[in-house]
Amino acid sequence: MTSVVTRATSVSKARAVGSVRRPRRTKRGALLGLVAWIFGLIFVTPVLWMILTSFHSETSAATNPPSLFAPLTLDGYANFFGANTGASPWPALINSAQASIISTLLVLALSIPAAYALSIRPVRKWSDVMFFFLTTKMLPMVAGLLPIYLIAKATGLLDSIILLVILYTSMNLPIAVWMMRSFLSEIPVEILEAASIDGANLLTIFRRIIIPISGPGIAATSLICFIFSWNELLFASVLTSTQAITAPVFLTSFVTSQGLFLAKVCAAAVAVSFPVLVAGFAAQDKLVQGLSLGAVK
Amino acid sequence: MSASNVVAPPTTPTRKRPVRAGIRKARRGQARWAIYLIVPSIVLLAVVIGYPVVSAIIMSFQKDAGLDPATGLFVQGGFAGFENYAHWLLQQCMNASGQTISCPPGNLGSQFWNAVSVTFFFTAVTVVVETALGMWFAFIMNRTFRGRALVRAAILVPWAIPTAVTAKLWFFIFSVAGVANAVLNTHILWVSDEWASRFAVIIADTWKTTPFMALLILAGLQVIPEEVYEAAKVDGATSWQRFWQVTLPLIRPALLVAVLFRVLDALRIYDLPAILTHGGGGTGNATTTLSILVVDQIRQGFNSASALSTITFIIIFIVAFIFVRILGTNVVRTQEAQQKGAK
Repeated sequence: MTSVVTRATSVSKARAVGSVRRPRRTKRGALLGLVAWIFGLIFVTPVLWMILTSFHSETSAATNPPSLFAPLTLDGYANFFGANTGASPWPALINSAQASIISTLLVLALSIPAAYALSIRPVRKWSDVMFFFLTTKMLPMVAGLLPIYLIAKATGLLDSIILLVILYTSMNLPIAVWMMRSFLSEIPVEILEAASIDGANLLTIFRRIIIPISGPGIAATSLICFIFSWNELLFASVLTSTQAITAPVFLTSFVTSQGLFLAKVCAAAVAVSFPVLVAGFAAQDKLVQGLSLGAVK
Repeated sequence: MSASNVVAPPTTPTRKRPVRAGIRKARRGQARWAIYLIVPSIVLLAVVIGYPVVSAIIMSFQKDAGLDPATGLFVQGGFAGFENYAHWLLQQCMNASGQTISCPPGNLGSQFWNAVSVTFFFTAVTVVVETALGMWFAFIMNRTFRGRALVRAAILVPWAIPTAVTAKLWFFIFSVAGVANAVLNTHILWVSDEWASRFAVIIADTWKTTPFMALLILAGLQVIPEEVYEAAKVDGATSWQRFWQVTLPLIRPALLVAVLFRVLDALRIYDLPAILTHGGGGTGNATTTLSILVVDQIRQGFNSASALSTITFIIIFIVAFIFVRILGTNVVRTQEAQQKGAK
């Protein structure tokens, strides 16, 4: 128990230090704040430009330098989602949503028990197991691409969402195990011990203790997995064609064919990025914590 | 690189257990079933990631199927030895009569060393720039200022949006009549000139990843207690000395892990140059990285593509190994320490 206690005190000490840290609202501090704002603005400007252009008409989108105060219109979106450009983006968006959501749920189902075993219940050589999960991040994705293509072709899984779900699940599993382990080790062991003495079985412990306590961590992990799956391009572009085409793949081919219509293309890009941006903002705080703990993409 | 080089065995058990007879007995049972909770994940990874990698290595020793130069018939490859590797590393090709010649220009084999240098060039420049800029920004963000949470959320945007979008966005910015040339008042051919296209890729990558590096370094900075700086100040350290002798050693572990992951990622870069410049520019391969070359080769012959992807893997592995050895990055332990600090 001693180590738990020492850790708890060191935690409270760290918190105390954090709260004692006085905000420095000096002149220099204000200046640095301004620099941070400018830096932040530089980084968001291209995205803001893209969003603004997506609401412009094609003629005002084509002006150079870009016009700020051109009349706004939804034509770009109407053209993108409408049928007059050829293929509708809806199947691709739905495919992406299916692949991302199902694989994220699978990742959670696999990673939470594994992380539980690695953090709370003792597993001998746990650090070797953790390292095994990490090594998979060193493999170049392209290395597995050919055999996966051949296997998929042989099993008839080519161009199917099931294939993407399997691939995205294994792609995100190592990160998820790393992140979940860090979140789960925040749960005091005493609670779990008390529960098991009271006769709670594993399932009850998961449902009544682990999931409620590490809810935010689980949310952050699932959002990161969702973002990575949604954004994945290499596998999707090689392994899907018409049936299981994903949103990023659709976008790249859309831009190739419609590249001259800037407003329409920007509307497409915004539409494809939208779910990810919502997910990112929803979990902004926990996302940073989770990323710094285990998932450096 | 065995696991023990990277992961020092934990010197202290993570948690000391109270010695209570009944619980101890129960726990021995739990240790056994704990394995079953991990096994599904390991099996999935072994099947979906391990098997393809192993079979890629096996395939790399097979000949590509093609027309037999002697008989003119279509034949399956057969065992090739190190032929595919020689194709890439030594630029050896087969001529029509089955003799080994050096690859003619235009053959993908002759692009190998170019792809290696392009990949390493991208990696070196982007990682250095992103780390320096990211650290600078992390220091600023570590101060309290109005709207810090908003700025922090905003700079996550470039990281979160799909690379496909990033690449297209910068493609428009860098087009001949695009924003970049309008703002700079120049007529640079950003996506077709040799060096301009390389810098276009570097700028886009920096834009996408710097904020993310900044947030990682910020997480490391925020666990340094203020007292340490105050003590240094009392001892008369200048702000320059405080940076080099207090901050840097304290964030070193977090920084090294972030940089290591960035390097591994940068060496595998594919989508950004693939979409932004189509791997082209200059004479057609100014931004062709190893991963792009592999994808190009897939269309021409699986087995030599496998050899190339195996070579890529070995290169990345060697870089990671050197990194871990020289800089002593203990990845797992650092994550542990960071995790304790962050709480």
